[in-house]
Amino acid sequence: MRHRLAFAVALVLAAAAPASAFPDKPLELTVLFGAGSAADLLARKLAELAGRDLGQPVTVVNRTGAGGALGYTYVKGQPADGHALVWNSNSISTAYHAGNMKLDHTAFAGVAALTSEPVSLAVKADAPWKDARELLAHARANPGHVRLGNSGRGSFTHLVAVALENRAGVKLTHVPFGRELAVTTVLGDKIEASVQLPAEIMAQVTGRQVRVLAVSGDTRLVSLPDAPTLREAGVDLTMTLWRGVAVPKGTPETAIARLERAFTQAANGPEFRDFAARMGAVVDVRGAKDFDAFMARDDREIAALMEQIGLRKQ
Amino acid sequence: MSDLFVALTPPNLLACFIGTVLGTVVGVLPGLGPAAAMALVLPLTIKLGPTAGLIMLAGIYYGAMYGGSTTSILVNVPGEAASVVTTIDGYRLARRGRAGAALAVAAIASFVAGTFSVVALQLAAPLVARAALAFGPAEYFAFALLGVVLLANLTGGSRAKSLAMVVLGIMLSTVGMDPLGGTVRFTFDLAGAQAGLSFVAVTAGLFGVAEVLATMADPASTTPVARVRFRELYPNREELRRSVPPMLRGTVLGFLVGLIPGPAATIASFVSYGVEKKISRHRDELGTGAIEGVAGPEAANNAAAGGGMIPLLSLGLPFTPSTAVLLSGMLLMNVTPGPFLLRDHPQVFWGVIGSFYVGNVMLLVLNLPLVGVFARVATVPPRFLMPGVLVLCVVAAYADNNNLFDVWVVVGAGIIGWAMRALGFNPAPLVLGLVLGPVLERAFLQALTIARGEVSGLWASGPAAVMLAAAAVAFVAPAVLALARRSAADPV
Repeated sequence: MRHRLAFAVALVLAAAAPASAFPDKPLELTVLFGAGSAADLLARKLAELAGRDLGQPVTVVNRTGAGGALGYTYVKGQPADGHALVWNSNSISTAYHAGNMKLDHTAFAGVAALTSEPVSLAVKADAPWKDARELLAHARANPGHVRLGNSGRGSFTHLVAVALENRAGVKLTHVPFGRELAVTTVLGDKIEASVQLPAEIMAQVTGRQVRVLAVSGDTRLVSLPDAPTLREAGVDLTMTLWRGVAVPKGTPETAIARLERAFTQAANGPEFRDFAARMGAVVDVRGAKDFDAFMARDDREIAALMEQIGLRKQ
Repeated sequence: MSDLFVALTPPNLLACFIGTVLGTVVGVLPGLGPAAAMALVLPLTIKLGPTAGLIMLAGIYYGAMYGGSTTSILVNVPGEAASVVTTIDGYRLARRGRAGAALAVAAIASFVAGTFSVVALQLAAPLVARAALAFGPAEYFAFALLGVVLLANLTGGSRAKSLAMVVLGIMLSTVGMDPLGGTVRFTFDLAGAQAGLSFVAVTAGLFGVAEVLATMADPASTTPVARVRFRELYPNREELRRSVPPMLRGTVLGFLVGLIPGPAATIASFVSYGVEKKISRHRDELGTGAIEGVAGPEAANNAAAGGGMIPLLSLGLPFTPSTAVLLSGMLLMNVTPGPFLLRDHPQVFWGVIGSFYVGNVMLLVLNLPLVGVFARVATVPPRFLMPGVLVLCVVAAYADNNNLFDVWVVVGAGIIGWAMRALGFNPAPLVLGLVLGPVLERAFLQALTIARGEVSGLWASGPAAVMLAAAAVAFVAPAVLALARRSAADPV
């Protein structure tokens, strides 16, 4: 009996040995935005789940500043051995084209894209426009009259608003805000509408203080079942903010494959799906192979939009 | 309402205790802010369920305001942004051997303000929340401008020197990312400077490191404080009596300022200090170690923390990074703050409110005995104490954003702070500029954009117009008065 147990233990150890070659020490996931933000909470949850699978803790460290540039630059400066990860997003393109860093997406290798969040177009609950068509018709008849609060100049929400102008053929007045304050200003009747990530507006939707007229994803959000997509509202536009994990270019393929497995499994699990839904995010997995091409395609779109609003420096 | 007693069940009491203890620790340690600490324990709190989980998170939130004054008073290093003004009189009190009194008054002021703000929160939340919404960018710009004008000469002395410091502070605040996003400015191609000059690093340098340098240059200047007897450890009757009016004024001011977006607790502490400097019976002593300079601001920052809960609970709007973490926590626990919170989750709502009462008592009981322990720090000889202060400042600067550049900032700010002292410049107005600079810039641009480029948009609303007019009067009045006095004394 004792022998059999010892044999079983030895077998398990032998099986675990090749996997333990990587990671052989704790990993660090750099988050580009502040502790407690939607980006941060999603990363912390995934780090916890993936760390369990990897057998090494994944520590989340917030390095905020310059729209993500500070954190990207830091991670790129770390050894490319798979232990330094960055919680990546479209910010890699916005920070580069705004001229805030010398690195672009080609400096990194994608591990996996994991979540996506649409942008929500919202008005105050008692606003005269019933749906997105009415709001856009009003904007078309009164160029510049509709003031649309976004989460910062050159931010992803701003870019979606600019794309919306292009596709719907309207002229809007863009007002840059930080997190949450765009909604506050809508509630205070100082501006007509806001474009925000769903997590930033969920409380006001449930409190029936605002109405979401449309979301920019290709399907409706589970957490906002009544809000149609822009396409349903007659605007040919789909734009979502993706988030994923990336490592410095030159990281060994085996390490990337191991990380890809751990993070995609974590993201696909029911625990994370549920967590993400409450933060207004959708699990949207793309493996390492597709991720690089996906980033390149997204980068071209973002470059064009930033060019249009005069923020493109490189 | 009977749900208020939910806070008294053993699991909730324990959650409250752990939260407030963690909050105190976060407050005491410079560089570790409440938002980061709350994000760290968030996964744990989710497992506790909404009532206990939110009680614990909230405990960290308001508990941090208690501990923030500790290092401000003892070693001239602000523990939290909102405790910067506390250094001015708190540290001088400590050097005079009254560290215990200052620490105890800070704890009592925090308790009074914390308790008052929860009463106000309980009774007036929805009403006050609506009023907070009337504050748009134009009003916020006018408010910040009025603040700059009224508070510039916070510490007395030369008006010109103070204004120069405020302007320098505003200029320094423009380093890094434009507050509305988009472009990075004045970084001289230093990657680390892109996040801007860290507020924690600048204040730790200007106050803490500068103190260390001054002591090194003139070891006789900082003599160790004699160990005090137990009876002298706590505030005497005179000190307590003098603390009451500033405490009450600070509470009301702090609560109101807490309702508006931005670094409310920090602004509230500055406003309270400015008010005491103008109307306190002992205003001449402020700046030299007056207990009013601790009682007022420490009440104000705690009341602001309570005030900040109102927009969160009534409207679901977090105006500070800490309340944003609370909001995330609530959403993850399927509790949506806003007009229906009380209807949908009475247990959670009243449980959290009840825990504020309980938590404030716990914090007082926890902090008063700690006074004796902490007060001994002031009696440590400078040759042992000052190296420790230097380490504390550097660690705080790095911990704030894990950015090595901030360590250079804390050292540089220390050297500049030391030079400023030698030349008779006070660093407090500079910090005011650093806090209000981004607020001014952001609100100014937003107000103009909202008015579609019309400058008149800045004073189109009543409150904004009144505040701007008050700022203009306050700016011109001293010069006019001085001129009038001169011509009266010297008739032509």
